[in-house]
This record gives sequence, structure tokens and C-alpha cells, in this order.
Amino acid sequence: MSVAAPAWRQTAGRVLAQADAGAGHRWLDLEVDPAFATPRPGQFVQLLLPADASPVLLPRPMSVASVARPRGAQRLGFLYAPVGAGTRALAALEAGAMVEVLGPLGRGFPLETPGTPLLVAGGRGVAPLLFAAQELARGGRAAGGRRPVVLFGARSRALLVGLPDVRRRVAALGAVLHLCTDDGSAGRRGHVVGLLERVAAGLAGPLVVHACGPHAMLAAVARWALAREVPAFMAMEAIMACGTGVCRGCPLPRSAGARAAFDPVRTPALHGNREWAMCCTEGPVFAAGDLDWERIQ
Amino acid sequence: MSGRAAAREGARAPRPRRSATARRSAAGAPRVDLAVRLGPLALRNPVLTASGTFGYGDEYAHVVDVKRVGAVVTKTVTLAPRAGNPPARIAETAGGMLNSIGLENVGLERFRREKLPRLRALGVTVVASIGGETPRDLERLLGALAAEPAIAAFEINFSCPNVARGGARYWAVAGRLERTLARLRPLTAKALIAKLSPDVTSVGDLARACERGGADAVTAVNTFVGMAVSLDDMRSRLGRATGGLSGPAIKPLALARCHEAASAVRIPVIGSGGIMDARDALEFLAVGASAVQIGTANFLHPDASLRVVDGLRAFLAARGLGSLDEWRGSLRPEALAEAPRQGSR
Repeated sequence: MSVAAPAWRQTAGRVLAQADAGAGHRWLDLEVDPAFATPRPGQFVQLLLPADASPVLLPRPMSVASVARPRGAQRLGFLYAPVGAGTRALAALEAGAMVEVLGPLGRGFPLETPGTPLLVAGGRGVAPLLFAAQELARGGRAAGGRRPVVLFGARSRALLVGLPDVRRRVAALGAVLHLCTDDGSAGRRGHVVGLLERVAAGLAGPLVVHACGPHAMLAAVARWALAREVPAFMAMEAIMACGTGVCRGCPLPRSAGARAAFDPVRTPALHGNREWAMCCTEGPVFAAGDLDWERIQ
Repeated sequence: MSGRAAAREGARAPRPRRSATARRSAAGAPRVDLAVRLGPLALRNPVLTASGTFGYGDEYAHVVDVKRVGAVVTKTVTLAPRAGNPPARIAETAGGMLNSIGLENVGLERFRREKLPRLRALGVTVVASIGGETPRDLERLLGALAAEPAIAAFEINFSCPNVARGGARYWAVAGRLERTLARLRPLTAKALIAKLSPDVTSVGDLARACERGGADAVTAVNTFVGMAVSLDDMRSRLGRATGGLSGPAIKPLALARCHEAASAVRIPVIGSGGIMDARDALEFLAVGASAVQIGTANFLHPDASLRVVDGLRAFLAARGLGSLDEWRGSLRPEALAEAPRQGSR
């Protein structure tokens, strides 16, 4: 694998708007330099607040949820939960506030993988998958139509983050939305894997899964896909410092198969070693078979 | 007499004086000479990246003009590749961060084959950080790398807090440091820099041992051993119980140890620990450091070291100082009487 010079840069970003997205989440619209390389679904940025606006030291990795390019400008959307000191400080920023944006980072979903795309989202994991759905639908028109099927699950209806917006956007793409909740308060009662099984059974031809959500959900989806030999790609999370591979702070355990197949010459040193894959550079999106789901927390 | 010696002997000039160089250029753009020597190593400026925070030196080359950095200290290289510690490896704490990386690195062979040619092509001033579990490991590493033209100097990591063998505790023994450096010294004419742990009885004593052993400089200091507990699951927030604390939280601690080391030896001291900007760097230089290392700040801004270089130049110019020598060790000696250095009395 050859490594091209990375495309990421650190530039200023301006808060355009923030809004409540439901289920304790916020939607952030940020204007960045038009020259900022356009992020792909699944990629992330490191968002750094001015020192006087945040009590935390390190930048926060944020998955990109939308990209718009109106009149030569570039706008990035993010969905986040203000649950820690850093994200609470972010939530307090008014329109016009300046931040620093480093990115785009990591490797996104391989949307070119053939098959009917099943986009499996848990909670706020829906954000990068809506972005992916948009990209798939756009590429789909040219490439003969690959409308994704979106599966969206959470513990309860209240935790289906931004559900009205999700419905609207999925409908606008002409895609199908399936819901499930553990308590049955919306959609099918039960876990998203049960829904996945049911939806997959009704589809003909090859499938491909792109998933984002809590790691326990991703592990269940990965096992489902591996057992059926359905290609599946999972967007992972990790605590990070740099986000660029230099600090070696965000390792994920490789599967036995990935360890056996590991080639230290073909794998860029920045990505990882035989034991560990860096979430920030080799990921955050991984093929289901490449990670050891038993050892992922 | 160096500024450091002046400070130690309580000599004259509590304040740096305006230099002839600065006066000459006062009418035009301020010209400030930031060049510094660390034994045989001549640097264009005193700002180095700290090991483990800037990769091997090529990863940031597309966003940082790495030739302008005083020197890049590489990720610590060991004889064999190391996989590193299990996650979590990072935990942010108040004003700082804990890391438990565990010296993950590509190993000597891959470093030599893959990294050094790129670094040479980039024109980076490279200080290769090497780490070992025994003096023999370090001899083999230094023997293998001494003649590499891409390497300008070596920093020996005597202070990793995150490994079971050959870490900070093993090396925090004056006699062992002195004997090891005495064995390494004949292997290269390039600068040998000893990076010390702060978690010792006296950084000054260890710095003196390094000086006796033949080190050209010491770096004071590596991270402090620290710990954080998650109350949700009553486990360490790191994969191992403890990690190394860095960032602004440690700056006053690191500054005191840097001052202690600089007061103890005649070889140059490289200050390190929580330096986020030029003003932080100026404090380390004022207490006797000859150069500084930028670590955690690189995780916020990959060009943090260049921001410090520019900030130093602007500060010295504004004070009418033409060179770093006029600032170094400029701490007022009377201040020392009120604040006895650590370990004395």
C-alpha cells in the first residue's frame, strides 16, 4: 500500500449555527475554508476550541455528518452530545465563534463496495450514515441506482437522535428507513441485529453493511455479517490525543486473521503494527473481519 | 561566563542587557540570533520536538516546515519493534493528559530503512531517540545508527514511565547512568543527550552522573508518573495502572527540575514539560535551559514548535535582545534566595 501525502490541514472554522437535535444532542454547522479537503463519510476532524473558551486541553474528534458547498464556501455539519467538559464548552459557542479544525482525518466508509448498502445506525451513529446515504444516492444516479436501506435503532424512541430530520432526509433520497427500539416505543421491538436479519432476508442479491454506533452494537452487527459473509464496515470510536497517528494513543485490537495476514512492509507505519491498528489513521472505519470484537470495549 | 554560571554564582546583571547586535538592527527589522550549541550539535534555534509527540519527523512534513524546527527528536526506537501497551493509552486530566503508549515503535531496521531516507530528503535536523532495557541494548542501537548521515544527534530515553523493563525506574540510578554513558561515549562523536525522569530523589544528581559519563546535554524532564480512576467501573482510566502526565499541569514541576538540573551541571540542559507557547519556553530558558522541547502542544497544533520559534524571536526583539545568550539564565539571583532549589537545605 503506498501512502500519498496526507490531505489534512489545520484551519480556522466559524460557527454558523447550533441547534438542538433531540435526545440530548446538538447539531453544529461550521464554515471552513473552501480549500479544506472535502471530507468523506466516516472521516472525522479534530475540533479545537480557543483556550479561553474551553476547560479541556486536547482537541475533540468529531465525525463529519454533512458537507455542503454553497457558492464556493464549505460547510461541515456535526452531531454531538454535550456530555463532557469539552463538548459542553462547544455547545456554549454562539454563532460567529471561531474554532480550529484539523482534518479530514482517517479513512471513511468504502462506499464503492458493490452490493445493496445497508446502513446500520445506533443512536447518534446515524449522523455519518446519513452523510453516506447522501453520497450513495448521488453516486447511485450515475451508476445505475444503489439506494441504501437505513436501519436506525436505539434503546427507546427518545434516543432515536434527530428522528424527524432522519425521516425527512431518508425520504428525500428515496431510500427506505427501518426503525427499532429495545422497548418497542418506536419501530420494531428489539435489537438492531434482529431488524437487520429481517430486512436482509427480504433483499435479493449481494449486500454490504456500513455501520456506526455503540461498540457493543457494532460487535453484534460484525458477528452477524461475518457469519453470513456479508462485507461489513464499522466506524469505531477511541479516545485520541493527536488524531493523526503520531501519538499512538488509539489502538484497536486486530483479529487473529488480520494478525496472521499483517504485512509490515505494505502497512504504513502510521496505521499500526501486527497487534494494534490505530483508530485514527487505519480507521476509524474498519472491515468487520479486521478487528477482534471480543477484546473491544 | 555563561548566563547559567552567572545565575549560579549570584553574579551581576540580574536583567539581560540590550546587546550591540540588537542596537545595530534596531532601526530596521529586529534581527535575533536564536542559534544554540548542544555540545557538538549546532541548532538554528533552541526549539526541539519532544520524543513521541512528532512521530519520526516526516508525518507532519506536509503541514509544518520541519527544516525550521531546531531539531526533531524522533519517537523512541528500540532494537526490535514494539507493539505498545493495551488501550486505553490516553486519559485527559485537569490541565494535562496521561499517556501509556509503551514505546510502540517500528524497531531499528524499519526506522533505518524507511524513515531515515525520508528524513534526510526533508532536510530535518534529526535527534534519534533510542531506548533499551539494558546498557548493551543501547550500545547495539548506537553502534548501528552512529554512522547514519541523517542523524545529527542521539537522545537516550532513560525515563519512559510506561514499560515493565528498562523504564524510568531502572535508569534512575546515578551509577548506572554514568557507566552506561561511559560505554556509549566512544561509539559516536555526535551529541549524546540523556533524557531524565522527574520522578527521582534528585534530578541534579542524575544530571551530574550523566555529565560525568560523557553526555553532551541532558533533557529535563520526561513525563511524571500519574494515575486516574474511572468511578463508573472502578478501573484505571488507562490500560496499565499508571501513565505519564504531560501538558500545562506539569509545567511548574518541570521548571523546578529543569532549574535544578541546570544548576547542577555545566553541560547544556534542554527544558521540557508543559511548554505550550513561547512564554513558557522563556521561563525554562530563564532558569538556565539552553534549549526546550515541545511535546503535548503538538497534539493541539502540529506547528506548535514553529509558533514557539516565532514567539521567541518576537519577544527577544521587543526586549532589544540580539541573541538567546542574553536571555538564558537571566532569572534574578535574589529570587533564588527566597526559593531555595529543590533538595537543598
